[in-house]
Amino acid sequence: MTTEQATYRYFKVFIPAILVYGFGSVGLTLAAENITMPPFVLYALALIPTLAMMCVFWAHWRFAGEIDEYLRLIQIKATLVGVACLLVLASGWGTLELLADAPKLQVFWLLPIFWVSHSAATAFFSKKEGVF
Amino acid sequence: MKNALKALRAERGWSQSVLGEYLDVSRQTINAIEAGRYDPSLPLAFKIARLFELQIEQIFDDGSKHATTEPQNERLRRSG
Repeated sequence: MTTEQATYRYFKVFIPAILVYGFGSVGLTLAAENITMPPFVLYALALIPTLAMMCVFWAHWRFAGEIDEYLRLIQIKATLVGVACLLVLASGWGTLELLADAPKLQVFWLLPIFWVSHSAATAFFSKKEGVF
Repeated sequence: MKNALKALRAERGWSQSVLGEYLDVSRQTINAIEAGRYDPSLPLAFKIARLFELQIEQIFDDGSKHATTEPQNERLRRSG
């Protein structure tokens, strides 16, 4: 399989799933604020963006397996940077919340923090390694 | 690791994309190997060697002064 085919297959899942995640999260927040619903309904609705994000990770896993070894190395490096940023920020902010009464950071933001840092790292390594 | 991939490819008049197609890897990977930014895995090194009908050592140079195709255990046995 070529890189182009793998990328096409990845975005075919990624784009719809990220849209479902975004609209699902916003929709769920608005619904929870404006409509009175029993907790189990909210839990059930929260599964929609959660499942969408699982689809994104599954597509990324498949993508990493379909590209060649050098491009896979870039993805692995970017994932490590993403995880490092996420854990450092979460742990650092958690310490501030615990000791310095810092405003509470909702765990909802952990996933966007991971994807933003992962994407930035992918762009950085791709540029550094001359991929584009 | 130094390698002769660029010279071998040029001898045959292949572009990086064409060589990538033969080896089932991307043009970017060929570019990174040629520039010495990336050392290929053993399976890919074998693929490259088979494509050019050469030994891996004839394409890749790890900088060892004692580079040889002789099995190391033979040398160790003689010296020991």
